[in-house]
Amino acid sequence: MEARHIYKTYGSKDALKAREGDAKTCIGAKSVIEAAKDVSLQIRKGDIKLIFGPSGSGKSTFLRCMAMLDIPDKGEIYLGDECLTIPGVDLNKARARIGFVFQHIYLFRHLTALGNVELALRQVFKLSKDEARRRALDALTEVKVTDCVNKYPSQMSGGQAQRVGIARAIARNPDIILLDEPTSALDPELTGEVIDTLRDLAREGKTMLIVSHEMPFAREVAEEMIFYDEGTIVETGPPSLFFNAPNTDRAKKFMTRIINRTTREEMNV
Amino acid sequence: MFEFLFNPMYQTWIVQGLILTVEITLFGVLLGLVLGTVLAIGDIYGSKPVKAAISVYAEFFRGSPLFVQLFLAVYTVPAILNVRVDHAVLAFLVFGLNSAGYQKGYMKGAMETIFDEQMQAGLSVGMSKIQTLRHVILPQAYRIVIPSWTNEFCSLTKSTATLSFVGFMDLVGAGRSILINNMQILPVWIVVGVIYFVWITAFSKVMDIVYEKKKIPGVELIMQ
Repeated sequence: MEARHIYKTYGSKDALKAREGDAKTCIGAKSVIEAAKDVSLQIRKGDIKLIFGPSGSGKSTFLRCMAMLDIPDKGEIYLGDECLTIPGVDLNKARARIGFVFQHIYLFRHLTALGNVELALRQVFKLSKDEARRRALDALTEVKVTDCVNKYPSQMSGGQAQRVGIARAIARNPDIILLDEPTSALDPELTGEVIDTLRDLAREGKTMLIVSHEMPFAREVAEEMIFYDEGTIVETGPPSLFFNAPNTDRAKKFMTRIINRTTREEMNV
Repeated sequence: MFEFLFNPMYQTWIVQGLILTVEITLFGVLLGLVLGTVLAIGDIYGSKPVKAAISVYAEFFRGSPLFVQLFLAVYTVPAILNVRVDHAVLAFLVFGLNSAGYQKGYMKGAMETIFDEQMQAGLSVGMSKIQTLRHVILPQAYRIVIPSWTNEFCSLTKSTATLSFVGFMDLVGAGRSILINNMQILPVWIVVGVIYFVWITAFSKVMDIVYEKKKIPGVELIMQ
């Protein structure tokens, strides 16, 4: 999958909606936010890449553009050989090949865990009832939430719900999985179980593009880390680069801040 | 005092009146539900002119008395257009259109609380907007809207009283006809009132049971 020269801005009203709770953009006087300015990125089968950077820098919007959940203002998105940004492309078909995991989980609230995973298999892939059920149960087993199969989202913990979210994204065996800060809306003690699930997926060789600040996890699984700030990719490189000596000042500063924070949190635990 | 209840002719009137009242209410609420849903989707999704048209529609049907709407539909509009349409058909339509004006509001409110994130989720798994509406948004919205829908049913049932003013023999129409014969104002209206009360209470109870049966934890109207 590839993004070529993506540009995306959004207005202040959308900004408020999209980044609820994000003080910088909510109060910010800027009426138009540039989430992506000429961003290009390529990810091959089996790659695991991690995007990180300050909140409000546009990385989530960029990720949503990759999934065509937001339409880029300019630039091209390729899924395999297929360009998704030319008019007339069946975006639903394309999205079916892209797994997406949301920061705020967004499970279908009226369906059980099983129903959440089954729905697309039935409606999009037109699988038989038994086949859809079997695939859904496989996916739920893979993320280890078999005890939640018949629970509704409101009856699950955040960690369980997010793992169901991951099951929903992987059940159809997508070409790539995009994960938008999958742990940042969770209580700190619940992030571990979601990280474990992601680690399992990494081990299986799944193709993943993850927006995350889970640094130990990043160091462990990511082939490449992408430092994203103010709508552009500032620096890319292997984790060793960022953990030792990033080339840019901005990345250096950010890494220092985030590593201090992580260490503090670990000491508290 | 209530001996008129044993008069077979009066009995027939009352039963027929009740049937008309029930029929027109159920039809009105159902047509209102379907049309109200379509209007709600248009109001959330539609372009500016569509939204404006829907707003005019809803304000007209909510803002003017049902009696006036009924009178216009049954007498004025056919006369202007110079067509002959069965009065009953027109009356049924007016109740449906009127109810749609209210139910649009209920459905819109219910859908807006679930719309954005659930639509995103639906699209993200490869479903189309229409599939997401059908399998995700509407099943949640209908569950949320059941209590408002029950209210709408109660209110519409009582509104059918206006039917007798444009010549229909609904429950109130039956009462008026009996009154003309026996002049027992209080007993007749007590009987009519009790019939309304029993029917509305029974139906509301059924809807309460449906609501409880269909209820899913986490899918309810969030008051903000």
